[in-house]
Amino acid sequence: MHNLDLAAIQAEIQKVNSSAELEELRLKYLSRKGLVAQMMSAIPGLAAEERASAGQKANVFKNQITAFLREKELSLASPGQKAAADTLDITMPGIAQELGHLHPITQTINEICDIFMRMGFSIVEGPEIETEFNNFTGLNIPLEHPSRDAFDTFYLKDTTHLLLRSHTSPVQIRAMKERKPPLAVVVPGRVYRPDATDASHLFMFHQIEGFMVDKGIKFSDLKGTLEMFAKSVFGPGIKMRFRPHFFPFTEPSAEVDISCVICHGKGCPSCGRKGWLEILGSGMIHPNVFKHAGYGLKKYTGFAFGMGVERIAMLKYGINDIRLFCENDLRFLKQF
Amino acid sequence: MKFTYNWLKDFVEIKIPAAELAEKLTMAGLEVTSLEERAGDFVFEVEITSNRPDWLSVIGIAREVAAITSSKLKAQSVKPKIKIQNKNQALKIAIEDKKDCLLYTAKIIQSVNVGPSPDWLKNRLELIGCRSVNNIVDITNYVLFETGEPLHAFDLDKLAPGAISVRRAKKEEKLITIDAVQRVLNQDILVIADKRKTLAAAGIMGGKDSEVSYATKNILLEAAIFHPVVIRRARQILGLQTDSSYRFERGIDAETVRNASLRATQLIAELSGGECVAAIESGSARISKKTVAFDLREMNKILGAAIPLLKTKNILKHLGFQVRSKNKYVLTVAVPPWRGDVNQEVDLIEEVSRIYGYEHIPSSLPEVKPQVIINTPRDLVVLIKNILTGLGLNEVITYSLIDRDWLRDFNLPFAQPVEVQNPLSKEQEILRTSIVPSLARVVAFNLNHKQNYLNIFEVSKVFSTGKPVPGEGLVLGIVLCGEKTMLLNQGMVREELNLLHLKGAIESVLKGLGISGYSFRTGSAQDIILEKDSQQLGLLWQLPSRVLGSLDIKNKEVVAAEINLDKIFPLVNLRKKFTSLPAYPGITRDISLLLKNGIKIEDVLFAVRKQAERLLKEVAVVDFYKGKQIPSGYKGLTISCLYRSDERTLTEEEVNPLHSAILTVLQEKFSAQLR
Repeated sequence: MHNLDLAAIQAEIQKVNSSAELEELRLKYLSRKGLVAQMMSAIPGLAAEERASAGQKANVFKNQITAFLREKELSLASPGQKAAADTLDITMPGIAQELGHLHPITQTINEICDIFMRMGFSIVEGPEIETEFNNFTGLNIPLEHPSRDAFDTFYLKDTTHLLLRSHTSPVQIRAMKERKPPLAVVVPGRVYRPDATDASHLFMFHQIEGFMVDKGIKFSDLKGTLEMFAKSVFGPGIKMRFRPHFFPFTEPSAEVDISCVICHGKGCPSCGRKGWLEILGSGMIHPNVFKHAGYGLKKYTGFAFGMGVERIAMLKYGINDIRLFCENDLRFLKQF
Repeated sequence: MKFTYNWLKDFVEIKIPAAELAEKLTMAGLEVTSLEERAGDFVFEVEITSNRPDWLSVIGIAREVAAITSSKLKAQSVKPKIKIQNKNQALKIAIEDKKDCLLYTAKIIQSVNVGPSPDWLKNRLELIGCRSVNNIVDITNYVLFETGEPLHAFDLDKLAPGAISVRRAKKEEKLITIDAVQRVLNQDILVIADKRKTLAAAGIMGGKDSEVSYATKNILLEAAIFHPVVIRRARQILGLQTDSSYRFERGIDAETVRNASLRATQLIAELSGGECVAAIESGSARISKKTVAFDLREMNKILGAAIPLLKTKNILKHLGFQVRSKNKYVLTVAVPPWRGDVNQEVDLIEEVSRIYGYEHIPSSLPEVKPQVIINTPRDLVVLIKNILTGLGLNEVITYSLIDRDWLRDFNLPFAQPVEVQNPLSKEQEILRTSIVPSLARVVAFNLNHKQNYLNIFEVSKVFSTGKPVPGEGLVLGIVLCGEKTMLLNQGMVREELNLLHLKGAIESVLKGLGISGYSFRTGSAQDIILEKDSQQLGLLWQLPSRVLGSLDIKNKEVVAAEINLDKIFPLVNLRKKFTSLPAYPGITRDISLLLKNGIKIEDVLFAVRKQAERLLKEVAVVDFYKGKQIPSGYKGLTISCLYRSDERTLTEEEVNPLHSAILTVLQEKFSAQLR
């Protein structure tokens, strides 16, 4: 045991020429039955006063031999490996397939739909070509009435009163005719309005409609549901207010504002110095809509809401020109 | 609609500052869009919803202020002196169709002194953006904004004596309106006329001929109710929206008309010395007397609130409703004539709740167990988009409305497009039958912005004519262009994107959807058909140079695919099944060979598989190369063959003859040169 001499061991390790030989030496000294282990196991048999120094010595041996082996291992590495170690610059770009990007509108739709799905809503879609009845009359919007002015509409040639839906609300009529309550539905989709294109208007954009119908659905449920939604999208610190408004297909109706995401309610150019940003329209489904959907009088109540996806995305991402969504500049799309 | 703080104070006591009032109005549904301090007054601008024509007046807004601030309306006393002279000499009013004009009132006012308006009148009108003309015209405008009833004053001496009529215009009848524009009328437009000529486009704008000027001595003051739809159509035809038409279109009640006429008559007497000598009325308008039953329990159930009875009654009374209690919960509510929008209980629920304040209604979460509706197509679209973005492609969204010429340039056998009746521009004239032209334009746009590698896709509807309704189909479009660069260990690798990249992306999608057994076949033209069981699922093609030229794409190849998702979805199989992992190791043999161009890899692989069916588990192309070492007219390939048995470990001796047989087939059947 005392014949273990560190200098000799170092020389022995130095002489090695292959990693196989080096491994043999590692086993000789450091394995479970190696010489260092034997030194350790002999300690309990020593006189009490010798134990401490013997233990220290064994540790020094262990550490030193480990260091010698490591040093030799590095110098033994193949010339190729050595070259690689010299030339690998880990600050170079990593090698991978670049990921593609979902359009920010798709991402926003997915996020909003996911929130409502967690609250028990199902996704339903509807056609983009609609009847005048589903788009207007069924929703309590009389044909020759100023309330229609908010819904300029593309009509189709050579058809009997077919049009491109100007909102996703017609799916309310379709879904209610197809199914009986309880219903909780969100409807994402494209809608069309003949508006001149500018920084805040497109003639084709996206909406998400949502509605819930059952016995005993209340206005307070609408408030709670939309508060949950707004906090999920814009953060738990967001403030909300429900402002009375008029929509032909809901009563009572409310526009929903959130505290400005830029100035947090203090007032800035983005919110017209009001501190509030309108994000959606909502209300209790009008009895006339239930009538058109074929539901009995006063049998059910329900709430509905609708929002422009582009508007939500613009607020969420801080985009100031709606046209960017349809321009499809890859430098824009790849930011999301 | 604009009004001022002081003007409002003529009708209601206001004890709160203008800014606070603006906030309260907004929170009651009368959204104040701007508030400006000007000339010692405050100018409010409000957005009036289409259901509340009564709010298009200072009086109407004053009623609202009274309700939200619980203050009183000031009593108005309008009692102009009207000296009725010889009744027989009075003008006659002939209404051709009572439906077009429910009520027509006329006041004959003599000896007016037309001149400038007093400053208070001028200032008020100018504060709300209305130009002062002369005292008579200003009074009609002032009363319009105050009461909501549009008035018109004619120069009586310009009218043929005896009678005026309210009738539909004749075809091609002409009228020069006050704005000095000659209007060509038709039978859809209602006019006021005398025996000789047309005097005014009813409810929209008066005629230049009979307008009040400084020379005017006697006037006819009109206050009427014209049918909302008639006025709406007429102003659409004339393209002329005025403060007058805006109000008629939304509806006016008879009481307001009569009050407005008296108010204006009084002001004309005060400010121009005119004397009213005759009051004529024609028409059948009656003041409506509606009552609506209201149940407090019903309201609180729908709102999820607990608004007390007393509070409810007070709100309704302040808004001008008359309320009688039938019992502790049920009220009978009489609706004032100016509230044409209130017809059923829910209308009253809205009135009470908005004045009570939505902010005082609690929040709750619905206690329902809604039915679960599975929407497979949407789930699949989400899956497809995720696969494609995983492959590095970028999603775009393009308009479904396009220019017809975009399709023509592509010259593909597309269906007859559905046409839009009222496009704003040529780029909205049809519903697209294919999305590839739109995607190609996105490519051109991005190439212009120095993007050299374009890999885009879109999932959207395409449309085609059909009976009874046009068809709507869901498609996936992919367009690739440019040079893909990847940094690999051997350096930057550049690859021009081609149809095989497109095929690869589509194969990944189909694999993700669990669809197999499809094939890609060269079609009749330059296109590749994706099909399964002889059903065409999609098309792939390289855009011809003619198309690229029309898009101004130079020196680039663009490949495109359009996949019919409605045909893909029924083939989807997402049920996965586990197959045991191989129990024994396999032996892999690679074959490097030269093949003459024109020999299809598919045929070669098929022959190889057939030759060693039993033990050959996999055969695949693992390398493909062109270059100097390959003679022209040939392509270099490496095929990898995996042999394996499920019963035992294979030996070289077993594999060798099988593999030799394959080599023989390759040489004999395909004249392949082994390397």
